[in-house]
Amino acid sequence: MSECPKSRHANKSKNDMVNLVDNVEQKEDLKFNRRAFLKSAVGASMALGLSTVPFSVRAMMGLTDDEEDRVEIIDLDQLPVGESHKFYYPTEKDQALLVHTVDGDLVAYNSECTHLMCPVFYQKEENKLLCPCHKGSYDVNSGQPIAGPPQRELPLIEIEVVNGKVYAVGRQFRHG
Amino acid sequence: MDKKWYWGIIFFTVAVNVIMLQLTTRAYLGREFEMVLPYSIVGVVMAGIAFFTFLQWKKVEYKEDEK
Ligand code: FES
Repeated sequence: MSECPKSRHANKSKNDMVNLVDNVEQKEDLKFNRRAFLKSAVGASMALGLSTVPFSVRAMMGLTDDEEDRVEIIDLDQLPVGESHKFYYPTEKDQALLVHTVDGDLVAYNSECTHLMCPVFYQKEENKLLCPCHKGSYDVNSGQPIAGPPQRELPLIEIEVVNGKVYAVGRQFRHG
Repeated sequence: MDKKWYWGIIFFTVAVNVIMLQLTTRAYLGREFEMVLPYSIVGVVMAGIAFFTFLQWKKVEYKEDEK
């Protein structure tokens, strides 16, 4: 067996952690703890820095697959003022909301709340988009958050009206 | 170099990397893909700096033990 430190103040080990556990002197204690603390800080810094890498890898891959096409949503006369209509754009998984606001404008957004993805709905009494989950609300004219937890705007869906039909033609993530 | 400097540099990289992670996720979720890469390059460089500073600090710190 390797010899273990016999006397009370013997620090024979090369390992800080062993010394820290066996140690009885306050001065040494500070030294070992300080070292451990700095090591954790280095670890934290590296973990934080490196955890940005997957995002950039995904971003590089995602740059290409963002082509969007033109999709018919609804006939304009089926959507009276103050009403909204649910549709999906650009894929079947992206829920969206077309709103005919009380001011007579047509706006469309992806309707997943930017907080925790609950679907928002249009409230015509207050003329805003409301998220039922945590009472987040968005300005219906801009899609920008105005109250509650959401920090980012809803993705804006560009629309066109041709011959009384409403089409979705594109999407903007950062706008306004 | 004084040991305080190593501490300073390492905690500076921690602070920068917290901010970089925040900016990267925000750019990513906001689909500002062209901004994601620069942020994460800064993050990785800072992680490298933290690591090499640590190696230097270790040399200096543990020299005392051998005396
Ligand atoms: S999910 Fe919409 S406010 Fe929380």
